[in-house]
Amino acid sequence: MKKVLLNTLLVSCLLFVGMISQAKAQQRSIKGKVTDASNGDPLPGANVYIPKLNIGAATGVNGTYVISSVPTGTYTVTVTYVGYKKYTTTVEVADHNVTLNVKLQASNVGLNQVFVTAQGEKKTKNELSYSAQQVQPQSIQSVHAQNFTNLLSGKVSGLDVRPSNTMGGSTNMVLRGITSLTGNNQPLFVIDGVPFANSNTNTGAEQAGFRGYDFGNAANDLNPDNIASIDVLKGAAATALYGERGANGVIVITTKQGNKTKGIGVSLNAGVGIGYVDKSTFPKYQHEYGAGYGAYYAPPFDPTVTKSFFFNTDMTGNGKADLVVPFTEDASYGAKFNKNLTVYQWQDGKLVPKPWVAAAHGPMYFMKHAVDNHQSIFVDGTTNKGYYKIGYTRKNETGILPNSDLGKDQFNLGGSYKLTEKLKATGSVNFTKTSGLGRYGNGYDNINPMTNFRQWFETNVDLKQQQQSYFHDHNNDTWNYAGFAGQKPIFWDNQYYNRYQNYENDNRNRYYGFAKLRYDPASWVNIKGQISLDTYNWFQQQRIAYQSIDIPQYERYNRDYSEYNYKLVANFNKQLTKDLKLTGLLGGNIRKQRIHSIDQSTNGGLGVPGIYALSNSKNALTFPTEHYNRRDVDGAFAEATLVYKNMLVLDMTDRRDVSSTLPKKNDTYYYPSISGAFTFSELTKNSLPWLSYAKIHASYAEVGHDAPVYSIHNSYDTFAPFGGIALHSNPGTLNNPELKPERTKEYEVGINTEFLKNRIGFNVSYYKSNTIDQIIPAAVSRATGYNAFWVNAGNVENRGWEVSGFIRPVQTSNFVWTINANWSRNRNKVISLAPGISNLQLAVFQNGVSLNATVGQPYGTLKGTDFMYYNDNMSPKVGTGPAYRKGGEKIVNPNTGYYEKSGTSNNVIGNINPNWTGSISNTFEYKNFSLSFQVDLQNGGDIYSLDMAYGLATGLYPSTAGLNSKGKPKRSPVSQGGGVLLKGVTPTGSPNKTWAGATSFANPWGYYWNPGRAFIYDASFIKLRQVDISYSLPQRLVSNLGLVRGIDLSLVGRNLWIIQKNIPYSDPQAGTSAGNIQGFQGGAYPSVRNITFNISLKF
Amino acid sequence: MTLTMKKFIITITATIMLLVVGCSNITNINTDPKRPATVPAPTLFSSAERSFSNFMTNTNVNRNIFRLIDQYWTETTYTDESNYNLVSRAIPDNNWNILYRDVIKDLSNATTIINNDKTIDPKVKKNELACIEILNVYAYSELVNIYGNVPYTQALNVKIPNPKYDDANSIYKNLIKRLNSAIGNLDKNAAGFGTADLIYGNSTKFPNQISEWIKFANSLKLKLGITLADADPTLAQSTVESAAASNNLISSNNDNALVDYKESPPNTNPVWVDLVQSGRHDFVVANTLINSMNALNDPRRQFYFTNPEGLSTYTGGRYGMSNRYSLYTHPSNKLKQPSFPGDLMDYSQVEFYLSEAAARGYSIPGSAEQHYKNGIRASIQYWGGTADSLFNNYYNQTSVNWTTAPGNYKEKIGMQEWYAMYNRGMTEWTNWRRLDYPKLQAPPNAVSVIPNRYTYPIEEENLNKANYEAAAHAIGGDKVSTKLFWDKY
Repeated sequence: MKKVLLNTLLVSCLLFVGMISQAKAQQRSIKGKVTDASNGDPLPGANVYIPKLNIGAATGVNGTYVISSVPTGTYTVTVTYVGYKKYTTTVEVADHNVTLNVKLQASNVGLNQVFVTAQGEKKTKNELSYSAQQVQPQSIQSVHAQNFTNLLSGKVSGLDVRPSNTMGGSTNMVLRGITSLTGNNQPLFVIDGVPFANSNTNTGAEQAGFRGYDFGNAANDLNPDNIASIDVLKGAAATALYGERGANGVIVITTKQGNKTKGIGVSLNAGVGIGYVDKSTFPKYQHEYGAGYGAYYAPPFDPTVTKSFFFNTDMTGNGKADLVVPFTEDASYGAKFNKNLTVYQWQDGKLVPKPWVAAAHGPMYFMKHAVDNHQSIFVDGTTNKGYYKIGYTRKNETGILPNSDLGKDQFNLGGSYKLTEKLKATGSVNFTKTSGLGRYGNGYDNINPMTNFRQWFETNVDLKQQQQSYFHDHNNDTWNYAGFAGQKPIFWDNQYYNRYQNYENDNRNRYYGFAKLRYDPASWVNIKGQISLDTYNWFQQQRIAYQSIDIPQYERYNRDYSEYNYKLVANFNKQLTKDLKLTGLLGGNIRKQRIHSIDQSTNGGLGVPGIYALSNSKNALTFPTEHYNRRDVDGAFAEATLVYKNMLVLDMTDRRDVSSTLPKKNDTYYYPSISGAFTFSELTKNSLPWLSYAKIHASYAEVGHDAPVYSIHNSYDTFAPFGGIALHSNPGTLNNPELKPERTKEYEVGINTEFLKNRIGFNVSYYKSNTIDQIIPAAVSRATGYNAFWVNAGNVENRGWEVSGFIRPVQTSNFVWTINANWSRNRNKVISLAPGISNLQLAVFQNGVSLNATVGQPYGTLKGTDFMYYNDNMSPKVGTGPAYRKGGEKIVNPNTGYYEKSGTSNNVIGNINPNWTGSISNTFEYKNFSLSFQVDLQNGGDIYSLDMAYGLATGLYPSTAGLNSKGKPKRSPVSQGGGVLLKGVTPTGSPNKTWAGATSFANPWGYYWNPGRAFIYDASFIKLRQVDISYSLPQRLVSNLGLVRGIDLSLVGRNLWIIQKNIPYSDPQAGTSAGNIQGFQGGAYPSVRNITFNISLKF
Repeated sequence: MTLTMKKFIITITATIMLLVVGCSNITNINTDPKRPATVPAPTLFSSAERSFSNFMTNTNVNRNIFRLIDQYWTETTYTDESNYNLVSRAIPDNNWNILYRDVIKDLSNATTIINNDKTIDPKVKKNELACIEILNVYAYSELVNIYGNVPYTQALNVKIPNPKYDDANSIYKNLIKRLNSAIGNLDKNAAGFGTADLIYGNSTKFPNQISEWIKFANSLKLKLGITLADADPTLAQSTVESAAASNNLISSNNDNALVDYKESPPNTNPVWVDLVQSGRHDFVVANTLINSMNALNDPRRQFYFTNPEGLSTYTGGRYGMSNRYSLYTHPSNKLKQPSFPGDLMDYSQVEFYLSEAAARGYSIPGSAEQHYKNGIRASIQYWGGTADSLFNNYYNQTSVNWTTAPGNYKEKIGMQEWYAMYNRGMTEWTNWRRLDYPKLQAPPNAVSVIPNRYTYPIEEENLNKANYEAAAHAIGGDKVSTKLFWDKY
């Protein structure tokens, strides 16, 4: 390679020498092209300069330049470009125009620091006047998770990623805090200039903890193997050009565009992975007591009499009552285990006598090892006319629950062709087929086994026996029958029946791609026209089988999504004077989004068991639910960037959008932004050699958001007719024909620095944004006849710090140690809501706990009943307890010994926002070995755990059993020394001396006597998120293998160890689904440790 | 800038603007093609009737726990509601929402649409508006009966997101006025809502729909009047007397205001949904009721109750305690039928009101004893006890017979209404609060006294704070123990 380069340079020089001899004394021009010496890419914006004449030119987008009107003579020409070594040569201009093609060598300084910014503009580090951060695609490609968005966790400061713990579940991503009170807050994905839908179809009810399946978010249709670069644009100034969808930040992904060396490149990739449940995130059970809620199943209803805990029925016909497990009861507040006690228990649908002991195989037995494997092939190449690539990836994954399977096929086709010197065509077609089977059920429902295992369970139930019972005849042989006849369960299916019979399956076929023409009429301008399409059809089927507790049902849901974007953009790049360069763009975009969906279920049961067809409905079908949502947004945008001496940058953008979802009179809105940067290390290069790089930047931007579709005109709800009588009803939300666009105003300042020849560096930015005129369904008193009015109101402020840095403590030719760190803190505050409204309820969980946006509080306060506190100054005070009050002791009722709780439910009892989040990764590279590990941290943030509220009441957890401080069983009656003495004071302030009874589920720990506040946990954690070990086979070994150019092996572990957390038995990041409703756990899935082995071959 | 550059910029800008502007007026696509913007008024009226009937009938623990408060039923495993925990399931919120949003708001929209409809026959229009008004009065009166002061004059106004609460007593007075005027507007020679009326729309059963509405409306008037008996004796007496004098009260079980549910979902009786379709075993009959009915050999027990296998005598679950489902008597299969009607007003109820009115000395036809007897007979017959002997044997017991039954008229009527209103939890809760019979006790684990009212919705605390606080203050505190204005004596 080097040799070729030298030869080229030599030839160029000789040519110039030849030209010199023919020179005449007149004015000529110097023209040519500046390219990257390593890969031949044109370098736009390079500066070609003749110091003697003080004239020069910048290269255009295709790397070409022209310096005209050069008098004959001999000149020194310098070519500079950031990140590349300065090139100096001598040119003699005689009687011919001179062609000077230059290949620049990359310098170590700022290597690989070209950012892809809004609308595909490439910017160098110096030209960037706002925050952007890059993610190394390798760190994502090595894992090959189905859910690649999970992998962005900890990689970018200010990007909060809550990975899902379910197979293919949705990942919640928020950049710089929640800005929109009830709208979408997820960042936009843009793939090669094509906006890529990342919605999910999970319902609001599911997000708030009720029944549903998490079908995942659509961004996971992207093939990580196809990614060349990931740029995260954080602030409003960076994303304003994308219009309303960029308001939550943009993740710009550029796919691979052919390999840069000529010829065909083939890469093969294969891997296998295994996942297993992290036991620290799974319940631990007490092993002392079995099924029941208390001693009330048989007279004398006395907890000291064993038979009171059992159903007493004569099972043998001998006229004597036998002990039967209270099988209708989904709790473990029953009789003490005693292996000498014979108790009838369910097995294979029959009650059989067995010793009364704790199950040998608890719910952990139900959890399988997750297994995944993937194979991919990519073929790409570059010709002198363009590039091409063809890829196919196949993935398959089974989850930790039985009968779960997720498959994916991904085809990627792309290429470009230079039609003429000035006209280039590029295109890409991608297809992803996702097939899900047995996705995990979510929420407070039978379909979620974790709700069963964490909240309502009998510790005597042996899951291995349940498994055998199910596979024995495929019947719903549950432990939880409704009656002795054993036909149907009462609350919970045999979870194996549930998984194998009540399963969902779904298919998503997604096509996305574009066709683009690029025309270069002159060296300083190019025009691109692009038509892109992103479309998918999603087909989901859900089943409830005939023996299940729920009404047998078949439900099918079809959703057709399509989005067309038509874009025309002109890019300019002009050297105005020697020191001043102007780049910019002008463009327009038309977006058309259409979503069609239909949801239909059978009515009241199935005619024939096992036939899942709408025609098998037991009763006549009622209406399906149909939606047809249409949104058009027309935008025009412009950007101008002035660069002075590659040191001072002024960047201005504006965009104008017209959205179909707003009323005609308010449908147009603008997104102005201005930003500037000053790379002052350009001035101090010589005086401060230790300062390798230093830049400060500042920006201000305003962005807008349109309204949800159909929120302008009112329409009615339609219900299934009553007999033949049509029913209509007023809708829950009042629409508003006066809506205006929502606005976010953000400013940002920051500094980027590197020291000691780039051994240390850090970037710091501070931002403050205010989102005003929010379009919110402001909940109003229902006495208005509505739940909510759509209004423009409110002001949500986010301000925060983002720090990212690196240090290379060791850097030798064989060994490099790099530490990368990201840290961010966001402070969110709801400054105002609609006039007269001080609280916006976002979700209501069970037990009266709600998630709210409250004026004066951060977005996402948990409200509910609180303890009552005693405080010397306040005397007993009801219901106004600040969430984190120090000092005040909890008041215990002196009669019962249980805590007193507030009568009101609007006490602030938690805040879901963390104080800060961060991550540290260490990478060690030794010769061909590389080892890296990443630790993610979160400080603060609260979770409300319904799992604990119910699980403690039903006596599942070890803290509800064992001995009290007197050495007596806690579950014995207080009269016999049992119970517990709760810490607290009486209403008059003296220490509590009343022992609280714990003989039944109305115990001192669970939801029954405790306020919601008792089940708020701190979500802080330290996690060993990822460990990568990779090894590239040495070239000398590889070269023996003929065609093979490289072999890389890697071993990656994900979610290996939660080093610290404060919530028992679960992952503090577990939740329900992506969206604005967070800070809640109900039936939370455990986290899965994953280890993947990957081999990749390059030809 | 060079000339060529300018030219280019101008050209490109022009093209882009053309592209964007050429496709403007896109706001036209922002009407929902799948939902109607206007609907016929009867569909709203039907929907309001259905919502109101579902509200009065269901036994879902998230919405209607009146059967528990009245100690008709009690819970088996999850005993929160039998112990008056209203918060954990936000029951006050749910009831409030149904009445305002699903009943009153739909009625109000129907009124607007009918008023603006110029094609409709003026007589029919008057009848339809009156029917709407009657249902409206009923719904508002139940709101007051549940909470006390509620938003009224400022309710249903989209310009007032935070409506103030009105005094419960003034609301009652205004409701009686509105009801009188609605009754005056009913014209039995013209049609009403026809088949869209879920209560009296069956023309085979009810040849004259409007005359049934007249009876229903007068019976409602009687109910409102008698409810005020202790709070405003003058208005109570005049209202009751005028209702009785109309000679147009529900006068047999054939006139009952029932909603006939369907055999198959989704418009089945909600009790079937909660007890049968759900497959759950949440309720058994409470010992409070069963012990009392057993003592009187009540012939309705066979219609009210079903015993599980192995249980020979009617045995009630211990009220408010955990109870094993199979050890205790269950609600009967009769009321668990999917098509079992919802009951908004019935003959026995009317007779008990009349009996009370007579006992209070109001000037109405018939004696307290006669109406008391009629009420008991109507109830037994309604539930299927058609044989005269059933009533006679029952009534002839000393503890049932008007002259010998223990206590004053409040106790006699209070007890018999309790037995008769078995499937009418909301109605009986009001009777119990007014008459203070039967003497119910709160269970040992109860989180409060037996509710005299519901606390206001949590949403009102959060969304309508100032008015909520004013209302709470005005009624004497937002507590379940606070007595409503008609319950103070």
